[in-house]
Amino acid sequence: MSVVVEQEVSVAQEEKVSELKGRLEDPRLLTGKGRYVDDLKMEDQAYMGIVRSPFAHARIKRIDLSKLQSSPDFIAALTGEDLLREGVATVTELPMLAHKFANRHQLAVSKVRFAGEPVAAILVRRKNSLEDLVEQVEVDYETLPVVTSIEESKKGGTLIYEDWNDNIFYTLSRKRGDAESAIAPAPHVIRAREGIRRQEAAPMEPRSVLVTYKREEGLYEVYATVQSVHFLRQYLSSELKIPEAKFHVKVMDMGGGFGSKGGNSYPEPVLACLFSKRTGLPVKWTATRTEEFLEAAAGRDEYCDITLACDKNGMIVALKARIECDVGVSGTSAFMAFATVGFMLGTYEIPKLDLKAQCYVTNKMTVGPIRGAGRPEGVYFIERAMDIMAKKIGLDPIEFRRRNIADPQSPESEGYRDLLDTLVKSGHYEEIQRWRDDLSSDIGKEKDGRALVAGVGISLLGGDAGIFSIRSMLAGMSLRGLVGFIRMLPRFRSFGGEYGRVTMNKSGEVYVYTGSSPHGQGHETAFAQLASEELGVPIDKVKVVWGDTEQIPHGVGTFGSRSGAAGGSSVVDASRRLKSDLIKKASKILGRDRGSLDFRNGGIVEAKHPENVLVEIGDILDRLGTTEISAISIYSQRSPRDASAAHLCAVTLDPELGTIKIVKYVVVEDCGRIINKTIVDGQLHGGVVHAVGGSLFEKLAYDDQGNLLTATMMDYNIPTAQDSPDVEILHRGTPFAGALNGVKGMGETGTMAGYAAVMNAINDALSQIQPGAQVNVAPATPDSIFAALANHTSQST
Amino acid sequence: MRINHKEYSGEVEPRTLLVYFLRDELNLTGTHVGCDTGHCGACTVVLDGKAVKSCMVLAVQASGAEILTVEGLADDDRLHPIQEAFRENHGLQCGFCTPGLLMSSLALLRENPHPTEADIRRGIEGNLCRCTGYVNVVKSIRAAAEAAAKRRMEVER
Amino acid sequence: MIPKKFDYYAPSSLNEAIQLLTENEEAKVLAGGQSLLGLMKLRLAAPTALVDISKLPGLSYVREDGDHLAIGALTTHDTIEHSPAIKEKFTVLNEAASKIGDQQTRNLGTIGGSVCHADPAADLPTALRVLEAEFVMKAKKNERVMPASDFFVDFFTTAVGHDEVLTEIRLPYLPPKSASAYLKHSLREHDFAIVAAGTVTTLGDGDVCREVRIGLGAIGPTPLRATTAEQYLKGKVLDDAKIADAAVKAVEGVSPPSDVHGSKQYRLEMIKVLTKRSLRLALSRAGISGI
Repeated sequence: MSVVVEQEVSVAQEEKVSELKGRLEDPRLLTGKGRYVDDLKMEDQAYMGIVRSPFAHARIKRIDLSKLQSSPDFIAALTGEDLLREGVATVTELPMLAHKFANRHQLAVSKVRFAGEPVAAILVRRKNSLEDLVEQVEVDYETLPVVTSIEESKKGGTLIYEDWNDNIFYTLSRKRGDAESAIAPAPHVIRAREGIRRQEAAPMEPRSVLVTYKREEGLYEVYATVQSVHFLRQYLSSELKIPEAKFHVKVMDMGGGFGSKGGNSYPEPVLACLFSKRTGLPVKWTATRTEEFLEAAAGRDEYCDITLACDKNGMIVALKARIECDVGVSGTSAFMAFATVGFMLGTYEIPKLDLKAQCYVTNKMTVGPIRGAGRPEGVYFIERAMDIMAKKIGLDPIEFRRRNIADPQSPESEGYRDLLDTLVKSGHYEEIQRWRDDLSSDIGKEKDGRALVAGVGISLLGGDAGIFSIRSMLAGMSLRGLVGFIRMLPRFRSFGGEYGRVTMNKSGEVYVYTGSSPHGQGHETAFAQLASEELGVPIDKVKVVWGDTEQIPHGVGTFGSRSGAAGGSSVVDASRRLKSDLIKKASKILGRDRGSLDFRNGGIVEAKHPENVLVEIGDILDRLGTTEISAISIYSQRSPRDASAAHLCAVTLDPELGTIKIVKYVVVEDCGRIINKTIVDGQLHGGVVHAVGGSLFEKLAYDDQGNLLTATMMDYNIPTAQDSPDVEILHRGTPFAGALNGVKGMGETGTMAGYAAVMNAINDALSQIQPGAQVNVAPATPDSIFAALANHTSQST
Repeated sequence: MRINHKEYSGEVEPRTLLVYFLRDELNLTGTHVGCDTGHCGACTVVLDGKAVKSCMVLAVQASGAEILTVEGLADDDRLHPIQEAFRENHGLQCGFCTPGLLMSSLALLRENPHPTEADIRRGIEGNLCRCTGYVNVVKSIRAAAEAAAKRRMEVER
Repeated sequence: MIPKKFDYYAPSSLNEAIQLLTENEEAKVLAGGQSLLGLMKLRLAAPTALVDISKLPGLSYVREDGDHLAIGALTTHDTIEHSPAIKEKFTVLNEAASKIGDQQTRNLGTIGGSVCHADPAADLPTALRVLEAEFVMKAKKNERVMPASDFFVDFFTTAVGHDEVLTEIRLPYLPPKSASAYLKHSLREHDFAIVAAGTVTTLGDGDVCREVRIGLGAIGPTPLRATTAEQYLKGKVLDDAKIADAAVKAVEGVSPPSDVHGSKQYRLEMIKVLTKRSLRLALSRAGISGI
């Protein structure tokens, strides 16, 4: 067994692009045999329900549980006071950057700060009586002024957290030179107010948790819908003040997460643990979809006042940006704003820079790392501005980007130019431009403007502006910021790593234990593929195990597009260590030189004649006096990268109704080595359509009292099959040297580049009807398009 | 009622939804609950030959009905052609919306054995998916339709 | 997600159903359940008893009946969508039904259930209003027939009495050279309408428009007829200018809501667009070219 902390190995293997027909996980998922947390049932399980505040900001005067007592189904109740009494620590906030801490409680103590915040929890015997009994809890509130917008929050008249002296959660500045003095004389200057409204991850499976307290061992067996069982174990441990070893956290199949089941610590698992210990019963909680909308971490809600200046050759001279983010009652960390800035600054050469980002707290649910975690916003802010500028100068949007890419001699920049070139050559770019011009020439000819108008938009995602890219991270950072960043480095670095353990038994069966946690991304298959390749074992002899803190002592989890690269690399690394260890031991047993041996098909073979099996695995292990052999890797990438990509979107716009139809979508991407092309393509399809929803339909809307108006799948509109385009994908690139398995993370890149492509296309269409008409805040709903054309501000909420 | 060609019966409160009867009383957990308002389609089953959302039907209303759920598609270890088509064309990722989608697709193809892409997209608009972007779902259903057409031709020969 | 408790009855005859309703003040009729159950699951409605009429025989049909087409109240949206008679003779209803929700909803939802629910944003009420449908309601001792203009009373309120059951909807046949169309503007294809318009046009000699009916949906508590615009167009040969004028007249006195999907002003503009487009569609179907 061996452990490694850092590894930087050049990818010497030949590029293998494997494609399995179907995944290993498919048969059970297709036959209804998936094991999602709500599918699990324990004998005598009790059901937990949450009493939630109907007010966005209020003091709690009184909680009356008395009506519950008369029901035979009622078992127990908890309030915030109980938690204080039991000494439960506040909700975990991962200290990522220098932000303020909210120190919230799992059940509101004295004050509620968002509509839907948990105020009490009850435990009942029968599922059918749960909502009946929740309704029996009476709470008296004294309402307080509500802060529902960044504007309100900025004023500071009402503080969300009384021990803060303002409503600012986090501030970030970047400066390089004197941007203002470069902007003033510049021949080309554009200004825009860009933004993406508050949006929801909305995985199809609502959150769920099932806790069984095992009294004898003092252990909590916790099944939960989480993207990292290790994160949840850490949260439970620190909040309940019980050692991590006392929690066995597990997840099997999960119905999507998209970040909302990732970094945030939710109250329900903690409450379920408390109930289970108190009553000795298994405790089940499953969110309704309404509860998901009210409470699950939201994303986006970032706005940018951007000024971009270019010289007469179309080269950027300066960028000024003021970014504001609404973090609700505050989330896990300020990571999103940090990532937004990184992705704004990493692709193009920006000689002078003046950027400030502020995150404000409001009376809304917390935010979290929702698909892209701040990076879609950053890409959108810069890519939208690039398009506005290209139009102003009269340059082709692709050419304008090409000439401004930073570090033109670097291989990364070559890669970006290659993506743009491929988009033009193989992505039907010129054909689409012609189609668009043909359609536009009909404007005014058809009666009533009934003719549809066409628009084309592109976006460039510079993945090497990744969160670990020095250029973007340190762009314009102050000394103080640099010091803070260096302090945070270990935590950032840990995100580039993952635990992997590979075990082989006497029958030659291989078990891959990973800290990754697949919920649709296909790691069960992809990792089996990797181990199968490394060990020369047929894939049906490889079983991937995840989501179990008992069997997998350490791990990070699946989020941030990291599992393919980090998790996959740790599998490759552990497999190689296992193989190397086996060969070493076999060479001693056989008295042969190591170099003459290899391991293939369940046995030690002659390296030069692999069909010549010298000794089978079963015999080797017998001779070693053991039933299995393992190797562990805690692989860590020095500088993980996201994939880079160029997207193209073509839309038609009905100018009278403001409705948009996406008629073509092309992705050219480079994710380094592709482990499984079908899976990669699937991730891109989903990521793009996620951005389509965010660009056309999705917004969490509030009234002026902070009530969420879009709390159902009817009112919050994610794309259906009718709304979604076909997505064509072209792959470029070569294996990435910075990851052992040559992979660059790509699960979120469809979304990261998608918003800009769609919004640029819509605005291209608008510009042909009315130059100057722009919609720069997503979603570009029909009424906002109408308002842009009519030059009014949209009146809808 | 008959579910997947087997007789089942039970006694439930009138307010018990069919989806909860299937999941909680009968342990047929393949049919999933994804929302509160009958919009996501994850709970779709085939009832008396038609695709319906089992969260929008009371269990008592289904008394006497003939129901097909995802558990009734495969024949022991042999996947139903529609499941095979989804498997071969990567029509699923996290799998949560998949059972409902399979049942909608089945009902769609029975009604319309030669659907166009537009027919397919309209036919499954009541099934929300957040993972796949529907690209491979549409591909899977088309593949299933083509495979069925091919089988019919072979039978007819 | 789980409704409040209620008693459930599955009567075997219409008379039995009516009897149950009469005896129980708080009982509600359950047909397809696609509207009512949705409300009950969110606990926005909590009837203490449901009278399930969904399996009563003889209430699902589409049949020619003298001067009108008769549709049984339990006829599903899917059946209406696929009825050749409705598609040919009452296109506006076919199109309205085809735009309801999704396939699963249309498989169970009924015309009777939908109109009695009377959601202001629903599709069928607008189509039925513009077709001047008649609604047959049966009580214990009598039966009455009411025109669409009186049937829809307010948000979620119709003229159906507590101890009455809607059994049939009658569509009077349109004169020759008539055609109709339904257009709906919504965010996604199958969402509830932001605004909707259903039009019926009947041509006279030459290209003269003998009669025009314009129904507007999702702009108030009940579907409206744009009578000023209708009067304006009646007896004229229509062209772009007149259609545009009619669209402006159609929104006179209309006061749509402002909400997450659009401001009042936006909705007014969209009504004009849909009025124009549905008029042209109906006119071209009636045989007028060049519009």
